Amino acid sequence: MKKIAIVFLMLFLLSPVFAIDNTQLLKQMDRNLNPESFESYRKLINIEPNGREKEFVLFTVKKGKDKIAALFISPASEKGRSTLRLDENMWLYIPNVGKPVRITSLQSVVGGVFNNADILRLDYAEEYDVVEVEDLGDEYLMHLKAKTNSVAYDQLRMWADKKKNLPNKIECLTETSMLIKTIYFKQIKDFGGGVVRPSVIETDSPLHQGYKSVMIFAGIKQREFKDEVFTLPFLPNLESLR
Amino acid sequence: MRSITLCFILLNLLASGLPAQEEHTFDLSEIEKKAFQFNGYLEFRPVLFGLDRDSWLYKIKFYDFEKRETISEYNFNALLDASYEKGIIRAKIRTNTDITKSISGWSHETALYEALLSVKPSLSLHLDIGKKRMKWGKGYVWNPVAFIDRPKNPNDPDLALEGYAVFSIDYIISFQGKLKTITFTPVLLPVYDHVNSDFGEQKKINFGGKVYFLLYDTDIDFMFLSGGSMPARYGLDFSRNITSNFEIHGEFAYIPDYSKKVFQEDGTVGEEKYASTNYLLGIRFLTKTNTTFFFEYLKKGNGYTSNEMECFSSLIDQAYQSYLLTGNDSQLKFLSSATSQAYRTFAPMQDYIYLRINQKEPWNILYFIPSFTSIFNLTDKSFSLTPELLYSPITNLEFRMKITVLLGKGGSEFGEKQNDFRLEFRGRYYF
Repeated sequence: MKKIAIVFLMLFLLSPVFAIDNTQLLKQMDRNLNPESFESYRKLINIEPNGREKEFVLFTVKKGKDKIAALFISPASEKGRSTLRLDENMWLYIPNVGKPVRITSLQSVVGGVFNNADILRLDYAEEYDVVEVEDLGDEYLMHLKAKTNSVAYDQLRMWADKKKNLPNKIECLTETSMLIKTIYFKQIKDFGGGVVRPSVIETDSPLHQGYKSVMIFAGIKQREFKDEVFTLPFLPNLESLR
Repeated sequence: MRSITLCFILLNLLASGLPAQEEHTFDLSEIEKKAFQFNGYLEFRPVLFGLDRDSWLYKIKFYDFEKRETISEYNFNALLDASYEKGIIRAKIRTNTDITKSISGWSHETALYEALLSVKPSLSLHLDIGKKRMKWGKGYVWNPVAFIDRPKNPNDPDLALEGYAVFSIDYIISFQGKLKTITFTPVLLPVYDHVNSDFGEQKKINFGGKVYFLLYDTDIDFMFLSGGSMPARYGLDFSRNITSNFEIHGEFAYIPDYSKKVFQEDGTVGEEKYASTNYLLGIRFLTKTNTTFFFEYLKKGNGYTSNEMECFSSLIDQAYQSYLLTGNDSQLKFLSSATSQAYRTFAPMQDYIYLRINQKEPWNILYFIPSFTSIFNLTDKSFSLTPELLYSPITNLEFRMKITVLLGKGGSEFGEKQNDFRLEFRGRYYF
């Protein structure tokens, strides 16, 4: 009985250490996916069941834990639109309309399966706590829980490559564990500057049967920005950073 | 029969699009930045008006035309943007050309919407000189605090508008903590014979400004305008997400010495001076099923009362009867002149509600947004209803179909518009 009590006590004492390690694991994965501050170019492709496709190209800048902005470079109908995220606040600037309007993480500025939270994604460790990590051999499966109820997905199930510490697949779930979408990470590429990560992200959803969205990265590089870049008055000027 | 078959094949091609590529690629060479850029859109917009021949706006506008139940109008529009950027300097020009075939024949107009030289010595400091829109306010349809902008068309609030010639500065400061941003925007707006002549009293240099704060996750602006072309005014606005899918916003404007031109019963124009308070409260709410609700309430202290509108309406009736009896249209022309512009503008009265419900991509039809809009005049209980379909099946091509039905008793705002309904199609190609 005494031995059992000692084992339980040890497990109890060690559990925060595991939690810290798991959080550190997630933080390391965030850094493997991109530097904390960077610029990138992405192409988003929405693919419909009949094969019809629509493409969008975005220039994205991110600083620190909670600042990210994206500018639409093409197509012409979207050119000049830009979005800004500061922590949980999101805005959309449409050149004709003028002033930036507040938008929500569940909306999608491009339509299709990717929503605003996917397009303006902050680090996973900023938005989620690691609840549990399962060892699956070459992969580990991380169970993540949103830190607040304003995060787009309440739970994530993340399958990650153990050696590279990069995600292979993420399932996004509601509070009731209903699957909203699955995100697949593919084609690992060396972007230079020590950034080696999947260059293609695909997503599908049981809510949109037959539809698929793809995000292709063409450039990710570390770059420092002033805080002033991530302000509403600067949104119409994002192009000047290119 | 052959042409019907051809149309069917074309529509089918539109719906199905091109087959998917096997492998998607993206190379940085695709998006090389060019110093000179040229874009815009071309638009075709036919409109069918169902006329209300008893309304006072019909009498003013069509008194000397053949009486009809409906009239059609064909609008061709080109909005062109050209810009050149080198280093810290950027020049931009935006023009808008409208060509219209209406009951009066062909007409065309080209306006310079923007012509701007911008200098950005640093990320924190931007200087603009030239014609531009200031875009003050948080409201979607109405902006009581947009002191230096032309009013939006509530039936199409996203339309590009003409700016005013200004000199303005944006100075941005960022912080860590609850106060994240402060931006100072001082503005000079000259009003002379050939510069901003329609803004207000001429030979004046107006001075205005705005201070923006992002404080406790809330956008807050304070603004003012003075200088003499129009009475000085002060305002504030705010916007905040209460939850991730629920936003509130508001605007408040105070004009201590507002001067309102009012038609008297004898047909003369009087002037009333008083302190006017205008404000707007609005919400935007997104449901889990991707339905968005926009709701705005506008209180316009400088709008007209029911009595003032009825007085104006009866003057038109008298002028119209006089025209029928004598053929003299001078009084009708006077009543349709610039003097009465405020009676014929968007939202001329005092209390309005705007409601818009749109459903994004129902039945998994991508880029398809059906919506329903209503503008309700709380003073006279008249209103408009607008169902609308928006679809962009092909990159850079957008189609919109909408019908607006205007309802209200005689003497009410929407009951006295020139139309009972307006059916409109819009095809727009972006390049």
